[in-house]
Amino acid sequence: MTAAVKSTGVFWAVVRRDIKLAWSQGGTGTMALSFFLIAVSLFPFGVGPEPQMLARIAAGVIWVVALLACLLSLDRLFQADFEDGSLDDLALSPIGMMGIAAAKTLAHWISTVLPLVVMAPLLAMLMQLPNEGYLFLVVSLLIGTPALSLFGAIGAALTVSVRRGGVLMSLLVLPLYIPTLIFGVGAVDAVILSADPTPHLALLGAVTLVGIVVSPFATAAALRLSLE
Amino acid sequence: MSKGLKSRKKQRLIVLSTAVAALVGAVLLVLFALGGDSLSLFLQPSSVLEKKIQAGQRFRLGGLVQDGSFKKLEDGLTYKFVVTDCAADIPVQFKGLLPDLFREGQGVVTEGALDATGTFMADTVLAKHDENYTPKGTMPKNVEACEHPEKAAGY
Amino acid sequence: MHRFANPAQFNRLADKILPWAIAITVITLVVGLYYALFASPEDYQQGSSVRMMYVHVPAAWMAMFVYGVLAVSGFVALVWKHPLALISGKAAAPIGAVFTLLALITGSLWGKPMWGTYWEWDGRMTSVLVLFFFYLGYMALWQGIEDEDKAGKATSILALVGVVNLPIIKFSVEWWNTLHQPASVMRLDGPTIHTDMLIPLLTLAVAYKAYFVVVFLWRMKLEINERKISALAQAANVKVHHYGG
Repeated sequence: MTAAVKSTGVFWAVVRRDIKLAWSQGGTGTMALSFFLIAVSLFPFGVGPEPQMLARIAAGVIWVVALLACLLSLDRLFQADFEDGSLDDLALSPIGMMGIAAAKTLAHWISTVLPLVVMAPLLAMLMQLPNEGYLFLVVSLLIGTPALSLFGAIGAALTVSVRRGGVLMSLLVLPLYIPTLIFGVGAVDAVILSADPTPHLALLGAVTLVGIVVSPFATAAALRLSLE
Repeated sequence: MSKGLKSRKKQRLIVLSTAVAALVGAVLLVLFALGGDSLSLFLQPSSVLEKKIQAGQRFRLGGLVQDGSFKKLEDGLTYKFVVTDCAADIPVQFKGLLPDLFREGQGVVTEGALDATGTFMADTVLAKHDENYTPKGTMPKNVEACEHPEKAAGY
Repeated sequence: MHRFANPAQFNRLADKILPWAIAITVITLVVGLYYALFASPEDYQQGSSVRMMYVHVPAAWMAMFVYGVLAVSGFVALVWKHPLALISGKAAAPIGAVFTLLALITGSLWGKPMWGTYWEWDGRMTSVLVLFFFYLGYMALWQGIEDEDKAGKATSILALVGVVNLPIIKFSVEWWNTLHQPASVMRLDGPTIHTDMLIPLLTLAVAYKAYFVVVFLWRMKLEINERKISALAQAANVKVHHYGG
């Protein structure tokens, strides 16, 4: 019994540690958030400030940029721990590599992606998103973005020992993001085009659940490989 | 030693049950999403009339182009046709280039808004070929499509 | 030593299969192309542009088939740690990528007369494009990791993650496509392709498969020999170092 309590303690300790690191100086939290802000506000310069045009693309732009911001922060997910050797120690902890992978992925979502979701309505306002879209933009991001962290963790783990692996990681991870992007934007578009968004949200949730099943397993396998 | 073994077994149980629960959840969500008939971004004529959509509200209208309804106006650029789901019809007006595969009796999705008279003013028209590859002359005409509306609406 | 015993056996087997595979490739390719380009009827809507289908559709099939090869060899490599399985993914991936590219290019050329544009975000075309990205990622990962054994295992994990995800991606893309474009509203029951058109299609599909077997076996042999050479070189180095020290 004490052992089980101890291992959940270890799990949350890793989560807390990673969240703290992400928001310490030079962490990825602020970086991803500022990228999200700046990249979205570039779009009006690119396509012109006509409200109708912006309203039409708002949901898609916010989803795509959130996805890129998440990707940007992922390549350091395991790399720092791998380089300074703490990954070897973490691997020996009572929760095992799979627990470490799950804890670090959860920490990434809470520290880096959740702030993007909170920021999204503000950017939606800049992008002239129609009023009925706001609620479902946030809901779709909440349901869908965990999949971004989960599938991203697999790519980050596979490329952890590759020097300058960021580009390679995006090549591996971006195709995996397509379903989340499609269903996420689909839900918001459905509300705007007076259709029903719940089926879109259901599929979005299904993708995230598949990520929960696949990701810790594959991530742990890839991390063990890099420590061999 | 035995304690460590027990906790490892317990962990494995937690991992396994989480995975099974997540998979079952995913399957249920997919079944829910595909079970309803509202899984689309376009509305068919009967649901447009049902929902009493206001003039000026943008939406996508999808259905079959009714046989014999296609007309070209004098300016040579504006087209009029009727989109039907065999239960209701909506007249559509479109100015621009129609896709090559636009034909009467074939499927079409248009984007735009209703005007005050109930005509759908489309600014985009999409058509797609029907995925049947058959030599010339062996293809039956499309009359069946409207006799079996449930088949015609098989989106 | 058993590491090389197995590949040697493979080499002998490959040498037996290769002449047959080459013969089948040449014959089916010639016959299939003749039927496809001259002897088959025109389509009722598409006219002669339907002939692009005979080159395009088998290429798309091969794109998926080769991904299956990657996945199976990934599975075998991870579960049974079979040395040949670690190599076979590396040997197959570029062939699959080329077939995928061929499917994309012919599809785009087919699209020009059919859709009036070279590229349409059609459900099938888009999923083939994503599959192409997957091949690129797979090959890039092989190149990114220097240690061949680690690279083999990492790409195996990637291939297996892809097996779970590719159907989801394909489903989502097709569905996205039917949201943004009309689905085929009218579908007749029964086969949607006429027998006269099926024969050249299947002949060319066989030709592509046989071609894959030929190039795959060649690349496997090449890879095995390369490893032998580098193993020998390493052994030689150790010796030199030993004498020098």
